[in-house]
Amino acid sequence: MALIALFLLPVCGGVLAYVIAGRGESERWVTLATFIAMLLLLIGIVAGAPDERWMARVDLPWVPTFGISIIFALDGLSAALIGVAAVLGIICVMASWHEIGTDSGLFHACLCWTVAATLGVFMSFDLLVFAFFWEAMLVPSFMLIAVWGHGDKEGAALKFLIFNAVAGFGLLAAVFGLASMADHMTFNAFELAGIKLSTPMQVWLLLGFSLAFMVKLSIPPFHAWLPEAHTLAPTAGSILLAGLLLKTGAYGLFRFSPMLFPDAVAVVAPYGIALGAAGALYGGLVACGQTDAKRLVAYTSIAHMSIVLMGIAAGVQYALAGAAVEMMAHSFSASALFLMIGALYERTHSRDLRDLGGLQQTAPRFAAAFAIFCSALLAMPGTANFVGEALIVVGIFQVNWMFALMALSTLVVSVVYATRLLKGVVFGEARFKGAFADLSWREYGPALVLAAATLIVGLYPQSLIGLVEPAIKAALVSPSP
Amino acid sequence: MTAAQLVALSPLIALGLGAVLAMMLAPLPNATAARAAAAGGMGIATLLVMLRTGAPVAAVDSLFVDDGLARFGTGFASLTCLGALLYLRVGVAAKEAPALVALVALGASALAGAGHAATLFVGLEIVSLALIALFAFPLSRPALEAGYKYLVMSGLASSALLLGMAMIFADTGSLSFSGWSGQRPLFALGAALLLAGIAFKFSLAPFHMWTPDVFEGAPAGTAALAGVVSKAAVAIALLRIAGEAKMPEPLWRDGLAALGAASILIGNLLALRQQLLPRMLGYSTIAHSGYIAVILATGVPFAGEAVLFYLAVYAPALIGALCGSALFGTAPTLSDLRGLARRRPVEAMALSTALLSLAGLPAAGGFIAKLYLFRALVVTEAWTLLIVVVIGSSLGFYYYACFILAPFLGAASAEPPHSRRPDRALLMVCALVIVLFGVAPMLLIDLVQTVLPGR
Repeated sequence: MALIALFLLPVCGGVLAYVIAGRGESERWVTLATFIAMLLLLIGIVAGAPDERWMARVDLPWVPTFGISIIFALDGLSAALIGVAAVLGIICVMASWHEIGTDSGLFHACLCWTVAATLGVFMSFDLLVFAFFWEAMLVPSFMLIAVWGHGDKEGAALKFLIFNAVAGFGLLAAVFGLASMADHMTFNAFELAGIKLSTPMQVWLLLGFSLAFMVKLSIPPFHAWLPEAHTLAPTAGSILLAGLLLKTGAYGLFRFSPMLFPDAVAVVAPYGIALGAAGALYGGLVACGQTDAKRLVAYTSIAHMSIVLMGIAAGVQYALAGAAVEMMAHSFSASALFLMIGALYERTHSRDLRDLGGLQQTAPRFAAAFAIFCSALLAMPGTANFVGEALIVVGIFQVNWMFALMALSTLVVSVVYATRLLKGVVFGEARFKGAFADLSWREYGPALVLAAATLIVGLYPQSLIGLVEPAIKAALVSPSP
Repeated sequence: MTAAQLVALSPLIALGLGAVLAMMLAPLPNATAARAAAAGGMGIATLLVMLRTGAPVAAVDSLFVDDGLARFGTGFASLTCLGALLYLRVGVAAKEAPALVALVALGASALAGAGHAATLFVGLEIVSLALIALFAFPLSRPALEAGYKYLVMSGLASSALLLGMAMIFADTGSLSFSGWSGQRPLFALGAALLLAGIAFKFSLAPFHMWTPDVFEGAPAGTAALAGVVSKAAVAIALLRIAGEAKMPEPLWRDGLAALGAASILIGNLLALRQQLLPRMLGYSTIAHSGYIAVILATGVPFAGEAVLFYLAVYAPALIGALCGSALFGTAPTLSDLRGLARRRPVEAMALSTALLSLAGLPAAGGFIAKLYLFRALVVTEAWTLLIVVVIGSSLGFYYYACFILAPFLGAASAEPPHSRRPDRALLMVCALVIVLFGVAPMLLIDLVQTVLPGR
């Protein structure tokens, strides 16, 4: 029941924020309180969890006529992602305290509902409900971009919506296909995992699932929606997109493809690794050529998500652990960079690397934090990103050394774009002439929290790996050598 | 006529008395009395139906059957007519309007219990004639056009219907549905004509031409009567025919399937580029008729359950959408709706909920209705129809999404017209019912299952 409460918290928080908006800053406080309560409840659930595969489970019949149930289950992987969701939620509220003026009630409701829908994705094991949340998260995040974005926001939001909704139909079709294979009407993933399917059938269904996951992960060539959506979204929208929505794709691949289609994963894996390697290289190279800081970070997201895809596709213990760590690490670093670029834009009204620079003199706090996250971007040892990428490369070496070399080469590219970003914003000649106020506590606090998370996971990775271990074991398709 | 038969007919009697009383009160300077009389009739009918839930099946000769299906139809018609009456606005002249709405409810109730061709015809005619008057009442050009179109096409359909019934009678010697069986050519021809006549009332393509004009031109509220009440009554009549008569196959089912598929494609395609909300709803209602017809055509054992569920979630969605449309001006366009969420956040959200249900998206009852449809098609392995439905629904997602999202996008437009409290209340109730059926569909599924005969 705790899981239902966990899910209902942001749903109700959003409704409340929408209804009471307009009285001072009430909606901001309500949303903040919602996310803090969510985080506390999650910590409570995890702390009081029995030492089993699932920390908590609920199974309620919803529409028995169609075999649809509300099956929520929480393990370390889900818990870690939900924890990130709650923290990012808090950060989003703080980051948009001044940025969002109009319709702030609806804005905060959309924040809450985006988080609520991703929570549903991270916990649901009824595939129809999972597919429902998958589609449901698009609507509030669409609004975040379309209403409070910059420039051609509606175009970018529409692109985001169409890409992801169409891919979502692929998921829905595959879910229906899979459910129709069972001898009775059910969408329960645990039951559906038990039915024996021929390998070609598994491959087809897996392709349906993967279409949705790949588009959400924005693996090239399915990435076209991402750069614009990320660039034109408001800061909070970019944070949620990068930190949370992209992770739903990784989560889906991680969780459901080995669970439902073990034979197909073995067949498809080499293609997945190759696609990931190509995507990582492509994303990294394009990022090197960007002058818009936000667009640059958006392309690094493509590169990093492609690396995650490689890790998941490799399917060995090291690589899966690396993928799990890299998912979190990317949430921390990309969200923090979007947060800080948002702060930068609020002050200078520019994100162009050619107009910026030299902030280490005027804004030391900004410069320090920015430097930490740029080093995370290039996977400097000591950051969580290093642990993730190193483990993934090690894992891929066990599978195929050619792909591992490709993965390594992307790390070289990451050094180029990360230093370019760092130099363009923080070092060099100060080209922005106006006064530049250093980060306020509202911006610095979240940045510090994310930096701490990056460093803690980077220096003591077992803290995270231990938590997601059971999920990794379940996702292993072949025993590690 | 025995007392038991009178009791069985009591909801219809209440509706009829309400209509007569409303007609007599119409000349009074204040329209409230007539409204109250009609509403009272419909309210009492609803209550009587609820009281009679679970009572044994009673037949009034062979003309009228009082079973769960009929009770469901009567309660459904009374409730939806009550909702439509609430936001009915027809110029100053039309004090007779409440009486006409009560007549629509009466006709629909008769249809729901029709076990005989005579009742079927009389029920259809009561509904159609009352609707013609309601459509034309504002006497404006679009309203007259809507009324006139409906009149002409309704006349055509009625003659087809009568001719079909005559042929069936000539062949089978029976006007009762239960006596209809066979495969002879005359019977088949009669059945085809009957189907064409019914398809008109059901706004199935290619007999759909009147629908968008009615939705655009007729007064707010009457479109809901045409789109929900008459459609539901006809669907229930079709269910009963499928249950009691042995229609010539494959003509009957294939005909229904073809009409349904055509409606899905034509309705959704034509709705795609509509800028006027009510006109879009007019085309979408054609598509929804198509979905229902397709369910009926599959003939699956749970077809009745599926159709009743579909109707029950469709009613609040269409009424809510039309009511929302009336709230934001007589015929709001897509650009009129932009930015409305800033002025009327709650109403905009409710309107979007109604449209969400029409699109068949989750969290709204329409989603479960779509699941029924898909299940029926998968179970019967009707792959062609499935593809048609998938194409239609995908098109639907697009145009509904435009209207769902419009109120939340763009700058705040001019102040929308003043909204009356009953309208707002009705819209809220519809939105809540939609969400309730979407979140807890078993409530409705259980109800529908108890209503159906043979369970």
